[in-house]
This record gives sequence, C-alpha cells and structure tokens, in this order.
Amino acid sequence: MRLYVLHKTYYRYPSPVRESFNELRLQPLSNDWQHCESCFVSVLPTAQMRQYLDLNGNLVHHFEIPYEHSKLIIESRSTILTQKRVDFDNFPYGVSLQSLREVEGQPECRPYLQTSQFIDINPEAWRMAVDVRADSQDVFQTAYQIMEFIYLNYEYCVSTTTVETHANEVLQSKRGVCQDFAHAAIALCRCLGIPARYVSGYFYDATRDQSMRGAGASHAWLEVMVNGYGWFGLDPTNNRVVDENYVILGSGRDYTDVAPVTGTYFGPSPESLQVSVEVKRLDD
Amino acid sequence: MQNELFTSYETDVFFDEMFGSDGIAPLDHYRSILNRLKSLEPTQIEEKQKQADSSFLEHGVTFTVYGDDEGTERIFPFDLIPRVIPDKEWQKVEQGLRQRILALNLFLNDVYHDGKIMAEGVVPEEVVKSSAHYRQEMVGFDVPRDIFVHICGTDLIRDETGRYLVLEDNARCPSGASYLLENREIMKKTFPGTYQAMSVRSVEAYPELLLRSLEFLSPRQSQKPVCVLLTPGVYNSAYFEHTFLARQMGIEIVEGKDLIAIDGHVYMRTTHGLVQVDVIYRRLDDAFLDPLFFEEDSLLGVSGLMDAYLKGNVALANGIGTGVVDDKVTYAYVPEMIRFYLGQDPILEQVPTYLCWNDQDRDYVLNNLSELVVKSANESGGYGMLVGSASTKKEREEFAQMIQASPRDYIAQPIISLSRHPTFCENGIEGRHVDLRPFILYGEDIEIVPGGLTRVALKKGSLVVNSSQGGGSKDTWVLKD
Repeated sequence: MRLYVLHKTYYRYPSPVRESFNELRLQPLSNDWQHCESCFVSVLPTAQMRQYLDLNGNLVHHFEIPYEHSKLIIESRSTILTQKRVDFDNFPYGVSLQSLREVEGQPECRPYLQTSQFIDINPEAWRMAVDVRADSQDVFQTAYQIMEFIYLNYEYCVSTTTVETHANEVLQSKRGVCQDFAHAAIALCRCLGIPARYVSGYFYDATRDQSMRGAGASHAWLEVMVNGYGWFGLDPTNNRVVDENYVILGSGRDYTDVAPVTGTYFGPSPESLQVSVEVKRLDD
Repeated sequence: MQNELFTSYETDVFFDEMFGSDGIAPLDHYRSILNRLKSLEPTQIEEKQKQADSSFLEHGVTFTVYGDDEGTERIFPFDLIPRVIPDKEWQKVEQGLRQRILALNLFLNDVYHDGKIMAEGVVPEEVVKSSAHYRQEMVGFDVPRDIFVHICGTDLIRDETGRYLVLEDNARCPSGASYLLENREIMKKTFPGTYQAMSVRSVEAYPELLLRSLEFLSPRQSQKPVCVLLTPGVYNSAYFEHTFLARQMGIEIVEGKDLIAIDGHVYMRTTHGLVQVDVIYRRLDDAFLDPLFFEEDSLLGVSGLMDAYLKGNVALANGIGTGVVDDKVTYAYVPEMIRFYLGQDPILEQVPTYLCWNDQDRDYVLNNLSELVVKSANESGGYGMLVGSASTKKEREEFAQMIQASPRDYIAQPIISLSRHPTFCENGIEGRHVDLRPFILYGEDIEIVPGGLTRVALKKGSLVVNSSQGGGSKDTWVLKD
C-alpha cells in the first residue's frame, strides 16, 4: 500500500523566544515491512537541518534557531510503501513463554524488558499481568490477550492524560489515549518477560465510517518479540494486529525515545500548539 | 495493415523518448500508442491533425509573439503523438519537484528574514542582493501562510542517457497550464480508444487545485474567499491562458483599472458596487503591480496594492520577490539549498552551471564559448541566449563583450543533447527535441498534476522549445502502474 503522510506542528509563542534546539523523529523507517520512498522535513523560521541515527536506529533531524522568533512550524511529508506484514490466518502461535529466557540477555531484547522512564515493572503491574495471562503458555497468545484486555477495559478519552503520564497511572485509572494504552500494554508484557517496545507512527483508517481511533494524529502502539519470528505490532487502541495500514516512524523503550518533536528554548510556554496529521492512500 | 510512418525513423545519437538510447525497439510504455499510429491510414492522420488544429482555433488557444513587427497571435502548434511517462519514472520526478519547491520556499523565507544561508556562506549574499528581482520591500514581511511560490513551472530536460535534469524554475508567473489542459481535451477526442486503454492519469483537477491553493491564502478564512485573476490585459502573450484559467476556476478576471485600494484593502469594481478582494492570482510581474512602490509609470497595476499586501489584507500569488529564484545565478545554488534546509541530497539533478560572476568560471566560459550555451541570468522565453555550437563568430564576440561588461548577468552551461520525441513533420515522422514543464501547486499541501506541458522544438535540430521561438507542444501521458 502506498501512503502519503502530511504532519504539521505549529507552535505560537506569546512573546519571542530564542535559542531553540530541537530534535525531530518524523522520518519513517525503512525496514522489512515498509520502504520510505521520500521524506521531507522542513521548519520555519528557516534553519540548517542536520540528520543522525540514534541508538535505537531512528532517524533524527536536528536544528537550532538562535534568533528571536514567535512561531515555529514543523512539517513532514512522507511517502511510504508498506507491505503485508502478518498472515492473519497464521499467527505465530506455538512459542512458549518459557522459551523467552533464551532471548532475554540479547542486546536486541534486553532494553525492552527493563523499567524505563514511563514504564515500571512492579508488583501491582505484575499481578494485573498474571491475571490477564490466565493459563496461557504462549507468547503471542498472551500478548494478544493483553492488547484485548486493554482495548475492552480501558476508556479511550482525550485530554485526561498528558504526554508525560506514567504507565502506573494509566494502569490505575484505566483511561487515556494511544500513547497511554501502549505504555500500559508494554508494562504488562514486560512483567511477564515478553520483550515489548514502544512504536510511534501513523495509520491509515481504511474503514468506510472512519471508526478507528487515532487516525487524525500521530499514533502509537507496541511491538512484542516472538522469538524465532521477530517483532509483531499490536495496537491496543484499536484491538488490531499491525498490518500494512500502519507506518512506523520509530521505536524505543517508551515515548521518551521516540517523541516526534522534542527540544528546549528560552522563553514563555507556547500560547498555542496545533498538530495535524493527514494520511492519504496513493495509487500503487 | 501497417503504414510506413516509422520505417525510416532515425534516433541518431540522442535519447529517444519512444525508442530509448539504443533506438532499436520501442520502450514498453510506448507500445500501444505506436501500434495505434502504425495502424492509421495516411489520410486518417491528416484528418486527425486538421481536427485538432481546428479545435484549437475554435477554442481560441493562441499566444502572441513579441518583438515581431507583425505582432501576430498564433495558435500554439500541437503535435498529435503524446509523450508517455511510466508511473515509476514520474514518481521520482514528482518527489524531486516537491523537494525542490520546499527548498525554494524556505530559501525565499530565509532571504527575506534572517538570511541564515547567506550568513553560513552557502549562498553568497551579493548574489542574492544583486539579483534583478530581489525586493528590499519584502524584508521582514511574513507572507500569507509563509508560502512565496504557490505556482511553479519547473522545466525539465533529459540528457543523452535519459536522465531528468532541472533546467530552470519559473517561480514568478509561469505560463502553460492552459495548454496542458487543452491538449488533453483534444487528445481525448482524437485518440479516445487508445487514451482509455492506456489508463492515463488525469490532469483535469488542475483548475480546482489551483483555486484551492489560492483560497487557502485568504486573510478572511471565515467566509468564502474572493479570488481574482489580475491580467496585464488583452495584449499580453498569455492572455488566452488568463481567461481560460479564470473561467475554469469560476473567478473574475480583472485588469489593474478594475481594482482600487482604499485604506489598506483592495476592492473590485463590479456592477453591484465595490467587492473586497482576498486573493489576487496575479499574472503581472512585481515591477508593474503598484506604481507607488515599483515602476512609477505602470498603468497595469493598482496604486496602494503593496500597502494592502504588507498589511496582510490581501494575498498575492505568487508572492512578491520570488524572482530571486528564477535568476539563473541563484539556480546554480539550489542543490546547496536542498542540502542546507532539508538535510538531504537533491533527488533531481540539474545542469552544471558556470557563473560568469566568478573569475575562474568566466575565463573558462570565454575560452569555450562555442561549446556552451550562454544565458542571460534574468531573461526568459528563450530570449538573450547563445547556443555556442550553432553560433557565428560575430555572435560569439558580441556575447563575449556583453559578458565582460556585466558578468553578473550571464551564466553558461554545457550543451545538453536534449532527448527527442517522434513528431509529425513535413516529411513524415522525425525526432524533435523536447522538454517538460510540470506545474507545482503549493497551498495547504504540495500538489502536482501528473505530467505537465511537453514542449517540442519544431525546427529541425533546434534546442529551443519556447513558444516564442517556434516551439510547439504535445500532450503528456503519465500512466497508472
């Protein structure tokens, strides 16, 4: 599927700010399931744009605006070719939870089994996870149950949480947006020893009535490691196994690693922040 | 039954759009149209050509040639054989164009604000400030939606290997979109079956996309924006296009005298009284827009228009001062702009350019005039240019003098063997050089209708495709995959 994404972020400051340093993670990855044909990231006021790959393998755009400015506009336009990444008739069942011991020390998995900034492994979370797991012995089955549990029992509501809401809080309040759902699901997976990472990206809502959640904004979900098969994406916000409708921007331990826009500056808080995401399907 | 149209067709040393670089077998994407052409009786071809020509006359698709004592209005010659571009090839071109228009807009924003790219020494400040179309008045002004170039016509050529190269950008008032639309209309009537069978991507959305890009600029977003097209008048070479686009968009076409600026707002005189105007699609160069700011004796503009523009009460498309990027000296720096603002390499390459302004380059140019094309930095339409290989000694000497007198005004480029395309000529089908002008619209997002206007140099061996220099055009078919 060929998808085009236009992602605009517009900050307006009440009075001029200066010395703004920013990092953007807005360029989709190219991997086995998706190929980023082109991506243009532009900012205003104009700045020199530099790129580097971070420790998680995500592409980062870096820029600084030393002069005074009272607005900052960040736009990213990308064209991505996505592949079918799961066979819905043939999910990777049959890998036992016990066998995960073999991968827990591997550098590819280890960071995704630990506590991280927004995700804790603690007794409360562990108890919840054990309840959700019930008598399942299978990695994919268990991860799927966790996704379903969150989808069915958590309330999707905007503006009750912030970008800095911790997974512990979400597990308690049982509500939030895609970021919170992903954090909560990751916490439960990690408690059971399933390597789980946070993914930021977009998705194309192919339903006729646009009934999916989170399509008009940047989206987030999780990926779990099924040893022998690789990483599988699960979207607890929509109770859906990640397929070619999804575009991955980057992945990391939690939101901190892949926040689309981060930075610092001198000056007052923004008086307004507008974000718009449009995902269009193109002719193949 | 096959006619003999292509039996003596020669591709010579050029890249041929239909037969590629080896010139033996037709490229896959041309097979259907080639078969159709071969199946035609000679009388049918003649009939189709006549039918097409008369449609153009009936539709009034004409242009005016300047500097010609007869001052004639001519029909833009049209060739029946369409240029075909496969989807994959087009996708790359399209992405290259998006990248380019983003960089050009960032550059203009930068030039009229902080000037970072000059401070970093990537583009010399003197090049920018000495550009004939640099507008001091725009310094510090935030143009509506921060977009300077809303409509850009970027000319592409293909070299002997078939590689697409950017030849120039037209970021002021690019013409030709009406021919692109008319050509398509006529091809649909002339080859309805082939057109259908080849699943050609449609271009008909252009007027609607253009109108949307204009409306996006309106300072009064709460109501239906009033957009107008400002024309220099009936004597302008592109007047047909102005009327055509205004009609297609359903907006008023006005001349300067139809508008009046009062207290920093612009109004249109109508039979119902004055109507406030939000967006002006101006097909008039900066210098003529407002006699109070620019050319004092301009009768085409509107006094007070600049004041309203700088107060943000009316939007202009394109913005003022965009000519800096049309300057062929600035053009040489576009790849660096892309690297600077977007942090990536250009997708589309461009023609290597020698800047006579630079001592080393100038020496080279003066010593190799017969192998180069010399162009005036700020002329368009194929005026003020020397094709070294086809020039006389006297012409070269004249150019050498002009270059030495004002080096900033000239650039030189190697002569590129433009690709050729089979074209109906007096003696049957022959290869003629072509270029491609896609139209890029930049409103809420960047939109490019698939393909563009293919211009063809009808004179045998000529490399100049401009309509004012005896060029014609073809329809351009971008195929769905």
